[in-house]
Formats: sequence, structure tokens, C-alpha cells
Amino acid sequence: MKQPIISFKHVVKCYDDDVPVLKDITFDIEEGKFYTLLGPSGCGKTTILRMIAGFSEPTKGDIFFEGQRINEVPANKRQVNTVFQDYALFPHMNVYDNIAFGLKIKKMPRDVIDQKVKEALKMVQLAGYEKRGINEMSGGQRQRVAIARAIVNEPKVLLLDEPLSALDHKLRLAMQYELRELQQRLGITFIFVTHDQEEALAMSDEIFVLDNGNIVQTGSPVDIYDEPINHYVADFIGESNIIEGIMLRDNLVKFAGKEFECVDEGIRENEPVEVVLRPEDLDLTDVDHGKLKVTVDTVLFRGVHYEIICHDEVQNEWMVHTTKKAEPGSLIGLYFDPEDIHVMRFNESEAEFDARLDSYEG
Amino acid sequence: MKKSRFKWSNLYLILVFCFLYIPIFYLMFYAFNAGSTMNKFTGFSLAHFGELFADTRLIIILLNTFILAFLSALIATLIGTFGALFIYYVKQNRSKTLLLSLNNILMVSPDVIIGASFLILFTTLGTAVGSLNLGFITVLLSHIAFSIPIVVLMVLPKMQEMNDSMVDAARDLGASNFQVLKDIVLPVLSPGIIAGYFMAFTYSLDDFAVTFFVTGNGFTTLAVEIYSRARRGVSLEINALSTLVFLMALILVIGYYYISQDTGKNNSKGGGVK
Amino acid sequence: MKKYNTLFAIPYFIWLVLFVIAPVILIFGYSFLDSQGHFTLANYATYFASGKYLMMTFNSVWYAFLITLVTLIVSYPTAYFLTKLKHRDLWLLLIILPTWINMLLKAYAFIGIFGLHGSINHFLQFFGLAPHQFLFTDVGFMVVAMYIQLPFMIIPIFNGLEELDNSLIRASRDLGANAWQTFTKVIFPLSLEGVKSGVQAVFIPSLSFFMITRLIGGNRVITLGTAIEEHFLVTQNWGMGSTIGVVLIIAMFIVMALTSERKKGGKR
Repeated sequence: MKQPIISFKHVVKCYDDDVPVLKDITFDIEEGKFYTLLGPSGCGKTTILRMIAGFSEPTKGDIFFEGQRINEVPANKRQVNTVFQDYALFPHMNVYDNIAFGLKIKKMPRDVIDQKVKEALKMVQLAGYEKRGINEMSGGQRQRVAIARAIVNEPKVLLLDEPLSALDHKLRLAMQYELRELQQRLGITFIFVTHDQEEALAMSDEIFVLDNGNIVQTGSPVDIYDEPINHYVADFIGESNIIEGIMLRDNLVKFAGKEFECVDEGIRENEPVEVVLRPEDLDLTDVDHGKLKVTVDTVLFRGVHYEIICHDEVQNEWMVHTTKKAEPGSLIGLYFDPEDIHVMRFNESEAEFDARLDSYEG
Repeated sequence: MKKSRFKWSNLYLILVFCFLYIPIFYLMFYAFNAGSTMNKFTGFSLAHFGELFADTRLIIILLNTFILAFLSALIATLIGTFGALFIYYVKQNRSKTLLLSLNNILMVSPDVIIGASFLILFTTLGTAVGSLNLGFITVLLSHIAFSIPIVVLMVLPKMQEMNDSMVDAARDLGASNFQVLKDIVLPVLSPGIIAGYFMAFTYSLDDFAVTFFVTGNGFTTLAVEIYSRARRGVSLEINALSTLVFLMALILVIGYYYISQDTGKNNSKGGGVK
Repeated sequence: MKKYNTLFAIPYFIWLVLFVIAPVILIFGYSFLDSQGHFTLANYATYFASGKYLMMTFNSVWYAFLITLVTLIVSYPTAYFLTKLKHRDLWLLLIILPTWINMLLKAYAFIGIFGLHGSINHFLQFFGLAPHQFLFTDVGFMVVAMYIQLPFMIIPIFNGLEELDNSLIRASRDLGANAWQTFTKVIFPLSLEGVKSGVQAVFIPSLSFFMITRLIGGNRVITLGTAIEEHFLVTQNWGMGSTIGVVLIIAMFIVMALTSERKKGGKR
């Protein structure tokens, strides 16, 4: 395996009040991939980013950049650049001067700077905007200037701190494509911080899900979506029905008062577990063919599908996404395949979880 | 109904503006009086302006006043700007509040108290150091002292407007501490710094009480001179002077209005695109 | 960043110590000294024992109160109507303009206006009234003080009213309040901050003006400020002057406390 470009080894960060914001974080970042740090506000994701950028130092543990320990290296001496949440463009400079700032600091010759700024502007599709004032730009354009200002310095790692959160929905979607494409074109590592799971799923090679100062799960978007490690991840990423149940034995789980065939293994017999069923995996059928008998409570039209909320005989609530319509108050059946069931153990560590999945998935 | 009420409010405003401006115009009117009192207008004359321009003592005092304002505002702006920078970066809330309250003491203190306490201070220092004669130096120090807090108060909000991520961004792009200060912080603060300078300048021009306390025999500012002349009675030379002062203030106001209109337009333009 | 900050802020700290903290200590210290420089409580004893000083303090506070009250009554409608005007920035500048003229010049103008042969008396005579001496009276002092302070009351109230979000007024109307109810229940409470800073800006100087009392009020001691000036610069009794200064500082703190305590209540 290649040497990781950035490594965190048992990093702890405490602020003044001694409550750790990060509790013993260890991870590696490989070169050339798109990483996302995903979690709600206050989970510590921005703190990690600030430590990589050099704006704060770990209380304990070490940070390595290409094998070199960089704990005390100041921000202006690091080979990473940041796109800030509020862009942090300098209002007293025009677009050109903003982008050229880092190059001027490095005392590059004028013509090289001109050339590089031009290229960077082209890269973010703002060619010809050099003389514009920052105040004359729209939110999306400022976003692009901020990206250009960072990538023009040819950093080895680009850090993006919730850069899309200030944009409207349409623009945000467009920028997701652009960022992903940009990363692939530049071939450098992107570390993207967001609380928006859709962004994370759409763009990342690898997602780190954070909760309360810990990394709870690492994996590709598909892995994390299909096999969330616990209630928190399942709930945070995508919509889900999470029901308490009991693992009777390998490949057989009991919930909602019934026994169901499933594909999960390696869990103790009769262990209490949680079961995840994604709303889009549930199909409506008539009562006789359903694995579960439910009563429809509300039906919302969502455009691409109907969102149906219903409850089963033991009063569990179920959310279903379907293109079929149902009448509120009617009794219907829900059908799903064994593979649609995902069983989660309580308090399983990521290492245990990965080992267990490997044992039966091969 | 609504229309008539609107008229009443205008009438009220007209009365208030009359109250504000009649004394000023009264002063200016008698500046052109051929006689020598403010009671009876005996005929038009520019004689008092002639007297004014021939009065070298008054001209020198006028120059002194402006040099004093220029210097004290400059030094106060320098000290105050860095004071504001420091206060902004104080993390602990309690220390910050304490610093700000100390900063504001001179803002809220009455002039007489400032004057009297500075007089005590300078005499105490004088006995301690050897000799500190009351005069230009003590007046300059006092003017710097009472102008610093207003500079701090003008600069600090600009610091708060400048979000911290801008400093982070400059560091991130490789700027050293000094480059951050020179290229980012000071330019962004410049509107506040300029406003602070002008406030300090006008504070100095406007001051009478503090100067009156801490000046000695050798040095006088315009305000102190007017006071001593006014106590001796009416002299239409002062009216002529007021006319000039008013015209200058008027020009400054008009200039300021156009500048602010201009920047206002620019701002709204930027806001519109946003 | 921090290193530079601390280094460059050194002059600021020298200023804090020398011109903020030291003067306060000195003025308190001097209030306990007699003319020979020995410790004494005599200044305070004189202040409290002789009716003269207490009466003067009471008068000064009472006049400052009246000045503040009248300027407030005149200023609030002015500020309110100003916010309704089209070119209100320009009009506001016209309010500010007089403050750029040295207050001594303005006080001087009133010497002419108030004089026994001055304009006010011409005006009174025109209506068949007997000429009246305004110069060298307490009323004269108060009128001039009000004149000088008026802009300092109008400006903060105007700013307070300007900041007021228009949608709040619309919301109030939408919820069924009429114009008067909107004013008393929404506009006025929200502009109270401006009123308080105006009161602070007017009341404290009104206690301490000495040049106006000297020029307009006749050579009499009618405010705390005049008393301080008298003791420092005329009779050279710095101890007594400092004692009155301490009284003025205490009065100042009471005003500040009163106006900011209500601020907290309003926020809650």
C-alpha cells in the first residue's frame, strides 16, 4: 500500500473547557481521492479540517503529512489550501488579486502569475472575470473564485469546509458535479466537510461519518448506505425504518412480532438487535401477499414517489417510498426481500463490524 | 386626514430647524454689520473680515489649532487601531468587557473631570520628572488621550465585520503574520480607521474644557481664545470667524454627503447582485 | 498574529494606565488632601456640612434633569418625523452640522440674542412686553444648554428608529394594532435604546458645563462643572475641586447604571 498523504494518529483535541471535541481519532488519507467528513454540527469535522490546515494544534496525538510530523507547522507553511464556508474572499481586492494572493506571497514572476490565474479562472469557468469586484459577484461565482484561489497554488490536498451550504438547491447540485469533475481532473486529494448526507453520497470516494468527536464508520458511499454500522449512521444517512428486534440465529431475525429470513451472520443467538429497512426497499402488495400487515396513516406526494406512513399490528411506524398510491385508513401488505434487511448490533466497534461482514461476505 | 398630519410634522421640523439655525445665522448676519454690536444692524460692511485677516495672533492660533488636531488625531489613530486589534483578539469574555469599559471611561467622563484629572496628572508627573511645563505638549497629550477611545470604537466594529476566516484564508495561502496585517487586516479596517481619524480630528477641534485646564500661558487654541474674548464682550471679529467656520463645516458636510451617497450606491449595487 | 498585536498594543496600554487609571486614582486621592498635601476628610465634611454645596449639587442635578427632559420632548418627534422624510440622510446631516461648530461660538451667539438690547427683547417689545434680562440668568443657561445638546439627543433616537425593522411595524398592523397602538407597543419600546443613549449623552454634560454658565449664566457657580473649574483654576483649592469631581463621577455612574440596568430588563 502506498504511503498515505495525511495520517492522524490518536489525535485528541480539547478546548479551554477540557471537554474533548475529538476523542482519539486515527485515520489515513490516500492521495488522489475524494474524502468527505460527514456529521452534524459540533461533531468535530471542522476541527479535523482546521488541524489539517494548520489553524489549530492537536492536544494529544500526531498528524503526519507524507510521513512528516506536522503538528506545529503553521498554516502558511503547509502544502494544503482551504475553500472556506463563507468563501473568505478579500473584499478590498478584485477577482484577479484574490486569486493571485498566494502566488504573490510566493514571489512568483508576474507573467507566471498572470498565466496561472488565467488557467485557474478557466478551470472554474470564470474566464474574463479578472477585474470584477467581489461585491459584484453572485454567490455561485464567489464560490468559484474561492476554489480558484485555492487550487491556483497547486496544493497537494484541497480542504473544503461546507463550501456549498450557502448556495441554493439547484446551484448546489450543479456544483456537486463540478467539484467531483474538478477533483478528477486535478487528481489531487479533496477533503470535503459537510453535514449534508446527499452531498457526501454523491461526490465521495470515501466517507468518514463522525459523531460526537469519534469517527463511527468509514467506507464508500454504497457501503455506508447499505450497511450502516449503527442506529446513528442509519438514521443520519438516507431515510430509514429502524425497528428493534432479536437475532434468533444466523440468517433469521425476529421483529414486529414475526420471524424473517435475512442474510446477516456472526451475531450471538437471541441477541437483541436493531433492524434497518430502507423505505424504497418496501413494496406495497395486498394484505395476503405482504410479509407485514400495515394500516396506512398518511400519504404524501413527493414528485418522484409517494411517501406513505403506516403502522403495523404492534404499532411500529413504517415509511414507504413507492410509485403506487394507497388510501389513508386502508389495510395493505408490505413485501421485502431477505437482502433488504440489514441487522445492526448495539455498540459494535467498526473493527468488529468489518471483520464480521468480511467473514460471511467474503 | 393623513395628508394634513404630514403637514403638521413638517411644520414641527421646520420649527426645530429654525431653532437650530437661527443663532448661527444670527452670528453670521452680524459679521457683516458696519457697527460694532450684535444689537443693531447699521449697514453692510466687510470690515470685520478685514480685521480678522489682519489679526495675526488669531491666524497663528487658528494654525496651532489645526496642527494640534492633525497631530493628535494621527497619533490617537495609530495607538487606537492597534488597541482595537488587541481587544478584538482577547478571547476571555470577562477581560474583554473589562478592557472595553476602561476604554470607554474617557468617552463618558465629563470634560471638566478629564481636564481637572489631567491637570493633576501633569503636575504630579512634572514634580516626578523634573519639569513639565503646561503648554503645547500637555495639550497634545491630552487630545491624544481623549481621542483614543473613539478610534477604538470606530475600528472595533470593522474587526467584527471582518470575519476570522479571512485571516485564516490569508494564512492558508501562505501569508506571514506581518503580511496578514499589511495586506488583509489594515486594508479591511481602513474605513473604520479613516472614520476614527476624522472623529478624533473633530474632537480635537471641538474641545475647549480639557485644553482650558491643561494649557499654560504660551499656548492657546481657537476655542480658548474665543472664550477669553467672549468674556470680554461682543467683538464682531468673532462673528466673522464663525461665518468662516460655518462655511467650512458646510463644505465638509456637502462633501461627506456626496461621498456617502456614492458609496451607498455602490453598496446597493453589490447587494442587488447578491 | 498575537506577538505583533501585543507589541503594537504597548502604547495603548501605556495610555490605559497613564490617562485612564492614573487620573481616576489621582482625583480620588486629591479629594482626601488639604491645601498642604496632608490627608484629611475635611473636604467631604465641608461638602456635606455646608448647605451651599449640597444646594448647588441639587440645583445642578435639577437643571440637568430639566434640560434632558425638554431636549427629549423636543427631540423624539423630530427624530421620528425625520425617519419619514425622503432625503433623511441629508436632513440628518443638517442636524449634525451645528455640532461641527464650536460650542463656544454658539454660546457667544446667545450673548447677542439674549442681551438687554438683543433680539429676544426686540421681539418682546414688538408685542408690547417689557424687556426682560435673559443673559446672566439660570433660564438663559438652560436654553443655551438645550440648544447645544439638542443634536446629541436627536441623533441616537434617530438611529434607534432607523434600525427598527419595517416588517415589525407591518406585523403589528397585520395583527390588528392601529397606528397609535403600533407606536406605543412596538416603535417606542424598541427605540428606547436610542433614548437611553441620548439621555446619557445629554445629562452628564449638562451637569458639567462651566463655560456656558460663565458666559451666559453670569459669573455665578450654578453647576458642578463650574464649581470644579472654580476650585481648580480660580481659588486653586484642588482638594475641594477633586471632592466635587468625585461627586460628579458618582452622579455619572448613577446615570449610567440607571440607563443600562433598564437595558438588561428590556432584553430579557
